[in-house]
Amino acid sequence: MCDGAKMLRVLLSVILAAWTANLARGQEPAPVVQAKWVMATDAAHANSTFKVAVVATVSPGYHINDHKPTLTYLIPTELKLEPLKQISVKDVVYPKGRLKKFGFSDGPLSVYEGTVTVGTLLEVARAVPPGAYTLKGKFAYQACNDHACLPPASVPLTLTLKVVPRSVPLRHMNADVFERIQLE
Amino acid sequence: MDEHLGAEAPADSGTGQSGQAQVPPPQPERPVVPRGKLLMGAVVALALVVGLYFVNRLWIAPAVKIQAKASKDHPVAPDFSLPDISGKQLNLSDYKGKVVILDFWATWCGPCLIEIPGFVALQKRYANEGLAVVGISMDDGQQQVVDFYKQYNMNYRVALGNARLEELYGGIIGLPTTFLIGRDGRIYAKHEGAMDVSVFEEEVKQLLGAPADAEAASFQREGPRTRADQIELGDPKEIDSEVPGVDLTKLTAAQKEDFKKVLAGQSCTCGCKMNLLKCRQVDRQCGVSRKLAREQLDKFLKPNV
Repeated sequence: MCDGAKMLRVLLSVILAAWTANLARGQEPAPVVQAKWVMATDAAHANSTFKVAVVATVSPGYHINDHKPTLTYLIPTELKLEPLKQISVKDVVYPKGRLKKFGFSDGPLSVYEGTVTVGTLLEVARAVPPGAYTLKGKFAYQACNDHACLPPASVPLTLTLKVVPRSVPLRHMNADVFERIQLE
Repeated sequence: MDEHLGAEAPADSGTGQSGQAQVPPPQPERPVVPRGKLLMGAVVALALVVGLYFVNRLWIAPAVKIQAKASKDHPVAPDFSLPDISGKQLNLSDYKGKVVILDFWATWCGPCLIEIPGFVALQKRYANEGLAVVGISMDDGQQQVVDFYKQYNMNYRVALGNARLEELYGGIIGLPTTFLIGRDGRIYAKHEGAMDVSVFEEEVKQLLGAPADAEAASFQREGPRTRADQIELGDPKEIDSEVPGVDLTKLTAAQKEDFKKVLAGQSCTCGCKMNLLKCRQVDRQCGVSRKLAREQLDKFLKPNV
């Protein structure tokens, strides 16, 4: 292909990309917080504990409140899970917030920015037969930037947990996430 | 290939022989442009296109739009009636002839709270001249608002807002969002995010000086402006529809039922796992179901298109 045609193709690509970006602006605004489950092992055994974590990403420029906010009127970040008969929630560990000063507060506020990892220890009951179990929950937050706040919102979460017989070994995964969380 | 192109090339190449020679004159050799220069040219052209796009998008287009709106089209503030936190009915229409600061806020919103002492001061200073501050709290419960009201010595009326009111005012995305309403009942400014009280004071002074029976044509908006500050109101025909966000006023009662059945038979693709009708009714803010439902209405009204 000649150079002129190549250039034309590049220019058209740029115009198309800009046009697509423009269209996207007319759609739903992207959520300020996105969250997903990560698991420490690929499955679980009955009568044992199982580590999972929610990894949430807060958009640049925004913050969400600490699980234990500095001021009583602030809405805390919270992982809300619906336990099952077969799977109970033993522990939820929130990260320590970062103290940050804002124009609207007299003192610094403890907030989460960037990536937020909430660890969770689940317990699979004794007589749970092998199979897939679905745990539902939501990551609830209220986000602000320096000048404005968004209404309280939540990201729905669904975790499908595979329970396998004791004879099946578990494969460890996401070590980088779980080495930072102290789950007992 | 190049030879063929050369034979077909226009004769006028600056030799002065155009239209005279039977045999095409020898073409000058195409200058060889170094690849580096070509690449540089492409980069410059790209930068120019991208630059022009953003200049238009962020600067020219909004300016043109704002100019068009500012001249005549200050929309009339939608009326509403809500019980205030003392239980008395608060009607916006009761404030006709006054300048109103309509402030959407919440007790959990830090940036909202820094504005409140300023509103208390403005209410104290300008109430006798015709200013009324009205607070619309977007909290879920009333008690925290009452507690807050006392703690901050608020001296103006506050009511709890609802989804319909938010939609009437174009969708309140961020808090605080404040509207400046003139004596003539028109909205002159919208500010999303916390502003210095001086911004409101300047606007209030302008509007207090304007007559109640005419538009304040010389009004100058104060403070920084963003896309969120464009005044776009909701349409009551869509807001109060049986399918929220979709204007069904062109349909007969029987057609409405049929249309709802059509929506109930379609899945929403927003991830809610509901049908389109349910998603519209349960999650009024969902842009995906709103767009799909409007498309369905177009198809319903023009089945052959």
